[in-house]
Amino acid sequence: MLKFYLPHRKEGEKIILLLRRHRFIILTKIAFWTIVALMPLALYLILGQELQPFLSHELISPIVVLFISIYYLYIWLFAFHSFVDYYLDVWIVTDHRVINIEQKGLFNRVISEQELYRIQDVTSQFKGIFSTMLNFGTVFIQTAGEHPRFIFKQIPNPHKIARKIIKLVEQNKKFRSVMQGKDKITT
Amino acid sequence: MIGIPISIFYFIYLAFVGVFLLFTLFNVYHLVRFGFLSIANISIIVFYIGMSIMMLLVSWYYIGQIDWQQVIPIVPQFESLT
Repeated sequence: MLKFYLPHRKEGEKIILLLRRHRFIILTKIAFWTIVALMPLALYLILGQELQPFLSHELISPIVVLFISIYYLYIWLFAFHSFVDYYLDVWIVTDHRVINIEQKGLFNRVISEQELYRIQDVTSQFKGIFSTMLNFGTVFIQTAGEHPRFIFKQIPNPHKIARKIIKLVEQNKKFRSVMQGKDKITT
Repeated sequence: MIGIPISIFYFIYLAFVGVFLLFTLFNVYHLVRFGFLSIANISIIVFYIGMSIMMLLVSWYYIGQIDWQQVIPIVPQFESLT
């Protein structure tokens, strides 16, 4: 069974789908921070000889050491934060509801949820070269609730996921109608 | 000699390290609190903390070799003509 922090978990509720953005998204971020980390080295390789007298000056070199330390510490921090952002942006489909959890910065976490039976329409979309080639895209879930549209962003296999959600919604609606029928008989 | 003591930069550096540690704490807290503690998640947290400690130790090694009593002169010094 899939395990994750589930807000307001209902009794016996099972996680059916636990979705994050495609790995390509986190790889692009890692690639970006790697390039940023390599930039000073490239600069030193190109301009090393010209910069040498400046960098080895007894008053400048301490500041350069501090700057390099801060530079790499913060690149490391930002890269880690990119991972945290990626890891904590989650879309969960359980056997009762869909949950949208988005980490927007360190101190802003948005959680919205909707019951499966309220879902009216599910659409999948591929947009762009990488999206088409690597099979990731967006799934739009139209609901009848307060939060009219749920968007699963850059998830892998969007078409397959959309079909799976439609199937779950149908099962949930059937289950509810059976349960309501039973309630009417007993009353 | 009138000038700026380079230790000022050291204190600014310490402030940046303080902010780094604070944000590290928040990030790790978020992962532990809101992500499931799987082996992969714990490994990433341990790897991140390990690398951070290593970077701080390397920085400490180089920073420890610097004479922080030096002063950057503001008033230009004129060498004796004789």
